Amino acid sequence: MSDLAERFAAYAARKLPDARHVRVSGLDRIPGGASRETYRLVLHYEERGDAVARRLILRRDPPGSLIDTERRLEFGAYKAFAGSRVPVPEAIWLEEDPAPLDFPFCVMQELPGLEASPSVLLAPPYAQHREKLGAQKWRILGEIAKADPQQLGLVGLMKDVAPNECWRRELDYWEGVIDADELEPQPIMRAVIRRLRRAPPPPAQKISVVHGDYRTGNFLADTSGEIHAILDWEMAHLGDPLEDLAWGINPLWTNGTPQLAGGLLPKAAAIRHWEAASGLVADPAALRWWELFSCVKGQGIWVSSAREFQAGKNQDPILAMAGLLTSSQDRCALHLLGRLA
Amino acid sequence: MKPDPQRMLEQLAASLATDVMPSVQPRYRQTSVALLAGLALAAREEFERAAARRVEENVALRALFADAVPIVADAGLAQRLRAAADARDENLRVSALDASNQALRALLIELHAHVEPLATPAARELDEAIWTELVRSAERRRLSAAPF
Repeated sequence: MSDLAERFAAYAARKLPDARHVRVSGLDRIPGGASRETYRLVLHYEERGDAVARRLILRRDPPGSLIDTERRLEFGAYKAFAGSRVPVPEAIWLEEDPAPLDFPFCVMQELPGLEASPSVLLAPPYAQHREKLGAQKWRILGEIAKADPQQLGLVGLMKDVAPNECWRRELDYWEGVIDADELEPQPIMRAVIRRLRRAPPPPAQKISVVHGDYRTGNFLADTSGEIHAILDWEMAHLGDPLEDLAWGINPLWTNGTPQLAGGLLPKAAAIRHWEAASGLVADPAALRWWELFSCVKGQGIWVSSAREFQAGKNQDPILAMAGLLTSSQDRCALHLLGRLA
Repeated sequence: MKPDPQRMLEQLAASLATDVMPSVQPRYRQTSVALLAGLALAAREEFERAAARRVEENVALRALFADAVPIVADAGLAQRLRAAADARDENLRVSALDASNQALRALLIELHAHVEPLATPAARELDEAIWTELVRSAERRRLSAAPF
């Protein structure tokens, strides 16, 4: 760990040519998702006679990952939404050269004292603010949907897509992931995929930035129920904004409270907040298509993580645990099809 | 084996959660130990039912395939369904049962895709029977600590 601290300090010194006596303290690996190794640290240096101490988050690619993601897109999304109505931590450095720390990494501002874990957020003292958290969560998602990707400077960085091609691009991709990574046949998801292809959704109302993993667990909140940052933009892309809404209300994320989307609000209330903030309409039939699709996407992630663990590419137990979610995801799909209560 | 493997896995999970986890640093490692305890409990649950659920499912799928043979128009598929329906699990090791289960589930996907566009009453009835079996298959795999 100290080697990592020294190497990061050396890297930071190169990025801060006016800084002197650059050093790192408190480097500590923290739980921070399965697709990046996440560390918190304090970067100390002197600049123009002033002592500076910056609390930072270092997110480094691991040898194997839960999700194949493009770190440049993630970093670009943080940069694009900085200062907007979508709260994000400051994105500071992106390093794609593996030389400094063996693997590519990015550096973000740390927002200390806030909580992201669903099990903590849905228990006291946070739980008394469920409605407040839920209203903000879905309204912020509405703001993401409303934003213009062109004005954000994300068209080009993120691959553009025609409104009538959003569904096909996403379904092709995630079906391909299941094709490549499944360790056993998936008859339920295969039936869902065929059904989705037989009856595609209408074209997207607009092309939006899609966060890609918008769920309880990927935002930071304080004990008064205020959301301070939306995290984990690793799967951000351009597409149909209903994709994010559907992912967020997937039954898998109800956290033991099946009547509450994301464990926070009834589904209808979540949709109302999203519509009010986005100015868009969540057409029930189109949303239903994307809800079923979200089960396919989830299954793609779970079978990939199971394969990574089984192949020994990454022995992080979170990958094995994620792999166990395949039967839950099947049950979610059956529930959405009206075949399981 | 005595003590029972389930009991050993249960104790392993308890020791990881109560003895090992609090003494491990940093916090990231604590989370990993908690996850390992959860995996041990999942393995305990699966150990108890591993053979039973595969045998039950293989029997159900073979019965479904036998019923499907007269409805399937594709001669090659019908032949493979008949062969699968006539087979039996002689080797009761979980790995062998798992291999035959995977082969049967792959054939089920093929059968389901074949039946879906057929409009005859018999085909519709078979489609419903397949969905019933799919629901049962999800229930057989359900873990008690699963989020849904």
